[in-house]
Amino acid sequence: MTGPGFAARDLQVAFGGLVAVDGAHVEVPRGRITGLIGPNGAGKTTTFNACCGLIECRGRFELDGTDISRLGPAARARRGLGRTFQRMELFESQTVQQNVELSYEATLVTCRPTGHLWATRRERGETREAARAALELCGIEPIAARLVAGLPTGQRRLTELAMTLVGGFSVLLLDEPSSGLDSAETTGFGDILLRVLAERDVGILLVEHDMSLVSRVCEYLYVLDFGRPLADGPTADVLASEAVAAAYLGSETPAHV
Amino acid sequence: MSWAPFIVIGLTSGSVYAITGLGLVLTYRTSGIFNFGYGAVAAAAAYLYFWLHSSCHLPSWVAVSLVVFGAGPVAGLLFELMARGLEGVTTTAKIVATIGLLLGIEALMTLLFGAQGRPFPAFLPTRSYQIAGVHVGVDQMVTVGLAALIMVALSVYLRSTRVGVAMRAVVESPSLLGLNGISPWATRSVAWIIGSSFAALSGLLLAPSTGLSPLDLILIVVQAFSAAAVGAFSSLPMTYAGGILIGLLYAAAEKIAAGPAAHLQWVQGLPASIPFLALFAVLLLAPSGRLREVAATGSVRNRPPAEVPAALRNAGVVAVVGLAVAVPWIVGLRLPIYTNALAMVVIFSSLRLLVRTSGQISLAHFGFAAVGGATMAHLTGGLHVPWLVSLLLAGLAAVPIGLVLAVPAIRLSGLYLALATFGFGILLSNLVYPLKVMFGPFGSLTAGRPRLGFVDGQHPKTFYFCMLAVAAAVLGVVLVVERSRLGRLLRGMADSPLALTVRGTSVNTARTLAFALSAFLAAVGGAAYASSVGFVSSSTYPWLESLVILAVLFVAGTGAVRAPVIAALSFTVVPSYITSARLVESLPMIFGLAAILVAMKPVDASSLKSRLSRRAAEWAPRSSSSPALSRIPGWNPQ
Repeated sequence: MTGPGFAARDLQVAFGGLVAVDGAHVEVPRGRITGLIGPNGAGKTTTFNACCGLIECRGRFELDGTDISRLGPAARARRGLGRTFQRMELFESQTVQQNVELSYEATLVTCRPTGHLWATRRERGETREAARAALELCGIEPIAARLVAGLPTGQRRLTELAMTLVGGFSVLLLDEPSSGLDSAETTGFGDILLRVLAERDVGILLVEHDMSLVSRVCEYLYVLDFGRPLADGPTADVLASEAVAAAYLGSETPAHV
Repeated sequence: MSWAPFIVIGLTSGSVYAITGLGLVLTYRTSGIFNFGYGAVAAAAAYLYFWLHSSCHLPSWVAVSLVVFGAGPVAGLLFELMARGLEGVTTTAKIVATIGLLLGIEALMTLLFGAQGRPFPAFLPTRSYQIAGVHVGVDQMVTVGLAALIMVALSVYLRSTRVGVAMRAVVESPSLLGLNGISPWATRSVAWIIGSSFAALSGLLLAPSTGLSPLDLILIVVQAFSAAAVGAFSSLPMTYAGGILIGLLYAAAEKIAAGPAAHLQWVQGLPASIPFLALFAVLLLAPSGRLREVAATGSVRNRPPAEVPAALRNAGVVAVVGLAVAVPWIVGLRLPIYTNALAMVVIFSSLRLLVRTSGQISLAHFGFAAVGGATMAHLTGGLHVPWLVSLLLAGLAAVPIGLVLAVPAIRLSGLYLALATFGFGILLSNLVYPLKVMFGPFGSLTAGRPRLGFVDGQHPKTFYFCMLAVAAAVLGVVLVVERSRLGRLLRGMADSPLALTVRGTSVNTARTLAFALSAFLAAVGGAAYASSVGFVSSSTYPWLESLVILAVLFVAGTGAVRAPVIAALSFTVVPSYITSARLVESLPMIFGLAAILVAMKPVDASSLKSRLSRRAAEWAPRSSSSPALSRIPGWNPQ
């Protein structure tokens, strides 16, 4: 059921002298939700930024078997790598619908030389249709006309998810989508993720602190600790592992056993 | 002539720049507000001293102490108040606020003391001694010594006192503000007080050599900018070194300009351009990671314009169009002023596109207009190219310059872009305006008016309607752009460039297009303005006006048609109805003040509530466990 997707190998990120990520290795095949967990400061968001090409790093990134390591962030997105942010990046002065439509338009811009200037009639129709589908999938059609700036966090997270889903990306990197959500909202968010997985041929990499969400939706987990890969495996095995518990609880046991 | 005297001069002026730069960096790093009005504080200090000493007959040491230890700290506390109002607003709003400050103080000085320069009484002894064959004045020694002393004292203060250590931590890493157990407000207030006193001192030290002239003193801020740039806007010792370096380079350029190459036009402009060149060099060549903005992302963003009911809006449109058509029969002799205002509508419209729609900033917009105006004059006056063709060609002439400015816009954002365009605007007016391709060294050019069949532009009413057509066409173009994909991309870029990038659109193209289009339209406006006033010269497009129009536009709102029209009316037409010359002179002050007030975050109920709850959270005891940990199943913090 899983197919080729995204892979990051031998990832190294250093800020000045500080090595933030050292040797991380993540595979995100299509058709499954993969989790990336670790304590605060483990380098999860840094890994995401490196995967998207937003920061300089060493390592090799592949998307559906093609090397995308040398591409810039926009080019990686055009190849099918989508993401959300822990600190949400929305078009704050616009409505939910405009946010989603603009996100779709952004994927069309480089299709033709005048792509930055105007949309063709066909593209306008496509945009409306894609936005409607994404809004529906995330269940936020009722608030489509609201400005995102005033929305509660839960609906803003869903808007950002819709903005990412609308682009037709093959791999989605979701950065702590449940932070700021209450438990009912988190459950709802998990439902939507599972529905996305069932309906679309995508791979999802989920950075998450909420273990109930992780254990419910993720099939496979990677654990990072101080930028180093600590463990990986099927979710249940990893969560049962002592080393992982130790990393989270800060026990005296050396982390690299 | 030997180099030694120039080195003495360079060290002296460099020391003043160093003091200014130190204050600038200190306040910027602690408050996140880069004070474009910093030089205005220096100017105000010099004027205050002049008044205390010459009019109140205070002994000079009393006047100096009052200015540096009295007025400086008071100004600092006022800045702190302003900074509180600016917490969390966008970078653009912060820049506009400090520009408002610059304009306000400049206008106040001009109002009180006149724009004419006056000699400034030396307050330091000017006796000179021969040291190693060079005459060195006591004032020069004192200045150099004072700057060195200040650098040392500041270092000691930042290392040995509680507030100082906190401040140093914040200067090095602004996100630490508030994490160190000392109120961020206390740290920031002290920084503002120190910074303003430094500004006051540097004003006093500089004034004897520049004389009392508001604009010349305000420009010391540029030297401070470049000194700060050498220190990457963060390192205090490097800023000090940068100040000295700029002073030495300046002196070296003066020596070259006085040497055998003196007959060359550009060599004459070299000394005055040194600080800008240094600033550009840093902004364009420094690795972009070195230049980080402090508190760059404001939480208060552009709000969408309020929805107006369609009926009311249509009525408004009809009324405005009707009035615009009727103007020639209503305003009588003021018609040429209204015609000028139409050209300003075009310029404001281009600036609004860049600032409001695309969220970028330009402090050089009158530079684009000047290029358009000069081109228009050459084409219609000298070459007799048809009017409309000239207008379009004048617009095109500014596009390459817009593209040049797109380079810093791509590399830098927010504050550093503002700095780059600020420097660019002044450099353009110092170095390029006097060249033959523009206005020439001596003066003024004639720009023609349209003449085609029965259309005779020499007739004021006919010309008014030609200009009305141009303004309407430009507003139409902007409205079309706003509704096109480009408009949506630019608005999206203003909100979040990152959100566009991760969805496949690199924003560099959009940025470049915005600058090119805005430059084109501004130059069309400048060309129309040239045609309207008839004669153009360097003084038709002063660089300072680029700042004024930004402040005016900021106050005028956001609407694509409304804002440019309101801005042009208040900038061009309103002054002509004011009969009191003093009131007209004080208009920039009113614009400046209004800009500061508009830039400050409106204190509404919700922001007050969040501020209160934040205060409450600061006082509440910190919980020892992080919320993330408590979510691990089976883990109990007890």
